[in-house]
Amino acid sequence: MAASLMRFVRGGLGRSFNSFRSSCVLQQTRLQSSDSSETSPTVKPKDAVTHNQLTAFGEYVSEIMPKYIQQVQVTCFNELEVMIHPDGVIPVLTFLRDHTNAQFRNMIDLTAVDIPTRPNRFEIVYNLLSLRFNSRIRVKTYTDELTPVDSAVTVHKASNWYEREVWDMYGVFFANHPDLRRILTDYGFEGHPFRKDFPLSGYVEVRYDDEVKRVVAEPVELSQEFRKFDLNTPWEVFPAYREPKEAPPKLEAGEAPEKK
Amino acid sequence: MSGLLKKTTGLVGLAVSQNPHERLRILYSKILASLQTMPQDAAYRKYTEQLISDKFTHVKTEPDVGKLEQKINCGQIEEVIFQAECELALSRKMSEWKPWEPLVEEPPPNQWKWPI
Repeated sequence: MAASLMRFVRGGLGRSFNSFRSSCVLQQTRLQSSDSSETSPTVKPKDAVTHNQLTAFGEYVSEIMPKYIQQVQVTCFNELEVMIHPDGVIPVLTFLRDHTNAQFRNMIDLTAVDIPTRPNRFEIVYNLLSLRFNSRIRVKTYTDELTPVDSAVTVHKASNWYEREVWDMYGVFFANHPDLRRILTDYGFEGHPFRKDFPLSGYVEVRYDDEVKRVVAEPVELSQEFRKFDLNTPWEVFPAYREPKEAPPKLEAGEAPEKK
Repeated sequence: MSGLLKKTTGLVGLAVSQNPHERLRILYSKILASLQTMPQDAAYRKYTEQLISDKFTHVKTEPDVGKLEQKINCGQIEEVIFQAECELALSRKMSEWKPWEPLVEEPPPNQWKWPI
């Protein structure tokens, strides 16, 4: 940050002196400064001010609603995420919409994430925008295949079709939704295509049959058997999130650590 | 008074308010009364009382609408009225929900762990 500031000051000086047709010594220094600036790595500078603001607002929200908010975090790209219990969807969204210090009046997106290894396999994600404070927030909650989540239509009208989409694609049931039916898949379609256990080829294929003069649906016939791929990469993907391989053995109560 | 100053707010569906001070005074006193029903140590009550009473003092002391808008610094006075209406509705709902209570349920282990 300081380097870029310096560059700006120097560039500005050089330009002003150029307009005065000054000596070429200054021009040379200007060239040198621009050369040295290229050696700095192209890494996005950290915006500490925004980060602190978001952290403070996250603490503010979680202090006000400790009943529902389980966790608050600010990602490395300065996005505020609020993890809530599924009971708190309507209270938290209403609070964020109506509170004078929040005013997140626009629902930008609502979607789900399927992580089959978890007991609550679906994460429901709400993205909100506050035009008043030019700020965004992400609210996350969780559910499984059977537990209904409260519909957010009473709070944000925009969530109507988004929830229909999530219902269609993931099979998450939204309680008190005014019109929960399929939105993207075809009539008579079975299954929820965005689930991780839904095969990429689908279960049926449709074609026009000349003999019966209509479109018929048939179960998929693959010319090749399903193959099992080893999808684990040989590289370490998340070195920053590396876990210790073996936890140090826990000591029983009253047992002294061995001394060597 | 404000009708002489401006004909429109420039925002669809938001009419110019003829007596903003009176309206804000009623709304703010209703919000403060609704906050009285909450427990003293509730964070929502603490913060909102402070926020609303700050604005209330501005409304009481500043008769000029333009200067009042600048002091409150939350948009035009009609928008401020709308925000106060929302806050009033919210404060009434909040006393039903009681969000200052302890957490209803801990998340299952590794629910928020990412990457998996």
